[in-house]
Amino acid sequence: MGFFNLPLISPRLTDFHGVYIPQADLAFAVPHFDEDIPLYLDPFLLWASPSQQDQALHTSLINAFNQLGDSYRRGNEDAAVDTLTRASECDEVGLGSSARRKGKRIGEKKAREILELFKRIPQYKQAGFRHFEEIQFFVEDISKDRISDIACNFLKSFLIDFTIDECQRLGIPTAASNVPDLYDYRQYGFSAAKGIQLPVNPETGDPLILVPKRWLRFTPWINYDDYYRHHCPLDEISHDPEDIGRVEVLAYNRDNYGAVERYIVEKERTFSDCANDPLFSQIPIVSAKRKLKLIQNLKTGKTDNADRDYEDALCQLLPSLLYPQLDFAAAQSRTESGAQIRDLVFYNNQSHEFLKHLMDGYGSRQLVFEMKNVAEVSRDHINQLNRYMTDTLGKFGVLVTRHPLKKARMQNTIDLWAGQRRTIVTLTDADIAQMVELFESGQRLPLDVVKKKYVEFTRLCPS
Amino acid sequence: MNREDIEQLEKVTGKIEGLHREITLLAKKSSSDGLNSFKLRLVNGALAAANEILGDEHQPVEGFTQFDADDVPSNSDVTVVLAVYLEELERYRSDLLTFSSGIHWYVFDDNTKLRAAEPKRLKGK
Repeated sequence: MGFFNLPLISPRLTDFHGVYIPQADLAFAVPHFDEDIPLYLDPFLLWASPSQQDQALHTSLINAFNQLGDSYRRGNEDAAVDTLTRASECDEVGLGSSARRKGKRIGEKKAREILELFKRIPQYKQAGFRHFEEIQFFVEDISKDRISDIACNFLKSFLIDFTIDECQRLGIPTAASNVPDLYDYRQYGFSAAKGIQLPVNPETGDPLILVPKRWLRFTPWINYDDYYRHHCPLDEISHDPEDIGRVEVLAYNRDNYGAVERYIVEKERTFSDCANDPLFSQIPIVSAKRKLKLIQNLKTGKTDNADRDYEDALCQLLPSLLYPQLDFAAAQSRTESGAQIRDLVFYNNQSHEFLKHLMDGYGSRQLVFEMKNVAEVSRDHINQLNRYMTDTLGKFGVLVTRHPLKKARMQNTIDLWAGQRRTIVTLTDADIAQMVELFESGQRLPLDVVKKKYVEFTRLCPS
Repeated sequence: MNREDIEQLEKVTGKIEGLHREITLLAKKSSSDGLNSFKLRLVNGALAAANEILGDEHQPVEGFTQFDADDVPSNSDVTVVLAVYLEELERYRSDLLTFSSGIHWYVFDDNTKLRAAEPKRLKGK
């Protein structure tokens, strides 16, 4: 177990338990222990899915929500408010923008305001919701994260089954955990469940629930901004654009359900355009070439923030070039002897024989690429990276810089190998250019250039 | 030397000419782009056959026998090497020729002859 206690940078569930499969090959979004995944569960993706299972889940989700309204209208107001409040936050799934994997529930007043819609708007009173995302159009402060959390809570039982299946398949350890809010369709309410086998966050002991990535989007298909920009009849609200704020639009919607209905019909009609968002998307080739050009035209050093521009361009370029063989973990800054250092850290999925070799030979569970926009790499730069290469980063590091190392510096890296079996390879402008070329042509993997540099380095080492 | 040797030589030369022609087109499009592993296998296969025919004496590039896929050789790298091999193959062929009655011949071990193309370096002279 000691092996797993080593600190990973931005630790993920899979890497932490020694499951080295790239995100691209997994059915779920891999949760991070210390932050949320910036994606949201979009209930519309379930509605639009060709799978009967997903459609049925959407139906039960909507039924659960409408049942709340029904119960509220029949006088069980406090119980309905309580249930909706409990449904409004789902920390176990870790979706959204929180940096601490903790969210806040809605207040009683807000819950009441939502449930009042079942009384106030005749269509909802009679037929209930078809898409409960519509609450965004009537109640303030309801956004994508809230929609996502409510959906997750009503679907939690399914998500738990999905999580258990995936964990068994991949061999991710689970522990008997307590889930305080589990929706029970027989009782139309939440109850606490004990002893469910779920993976846990090793730092906090909190259970984690996995979400299929086919349900995730950056913004829900039905969302307020889209409605406001393209569909809302603004002229009917006011002729003075200054007077049209969110509050005015919401007030208008409450009295003019037709406008919202037309929008929903339009969104349902174009459902085939609604697709889930990938967790990582590569930058387009044109943009990669532009970044390369920018890098090549930059001066070395710090003049005009050239170092910052160099690092920013590489931060966008390298994760795309190395995808999907390497999943991007974090771009992080650290300070060493007063100097600011920025580097890129990747998870080593061992999805390529070269990466497997790095894991076996150097113990690299993560790979570090340190960026240096300098005319000449100094002995200090090499030592800085060397000191950083510990524990999870293993004994392999990449120095991304402008020009090839001078002979003496090259000798430093060879000495490091000879003395401590540590390897530092250098990627220069020419190598980045070749990686971009391969990225464009698709003839070889850009990762092969890193391997090439590694092979070249090993040939220089004493045998 | 027998007929099979010449056939083998012509086959390899043809193969390398074909590869050279096609990869030159790729190199003109983007010289630093890498060659994919399938094409690289073809090139290495042709080079191995050529090395066998040429032997140590006619080794075209000193210390080089084949491309290493780990080196990610570029289109232009491969074009240069193939061009050098073509030159050397032609030089080797020229050395085999016998000139008589104004015609170039391959003369085989069994004393039969086969008419051959004139050495390329003499062409147009």
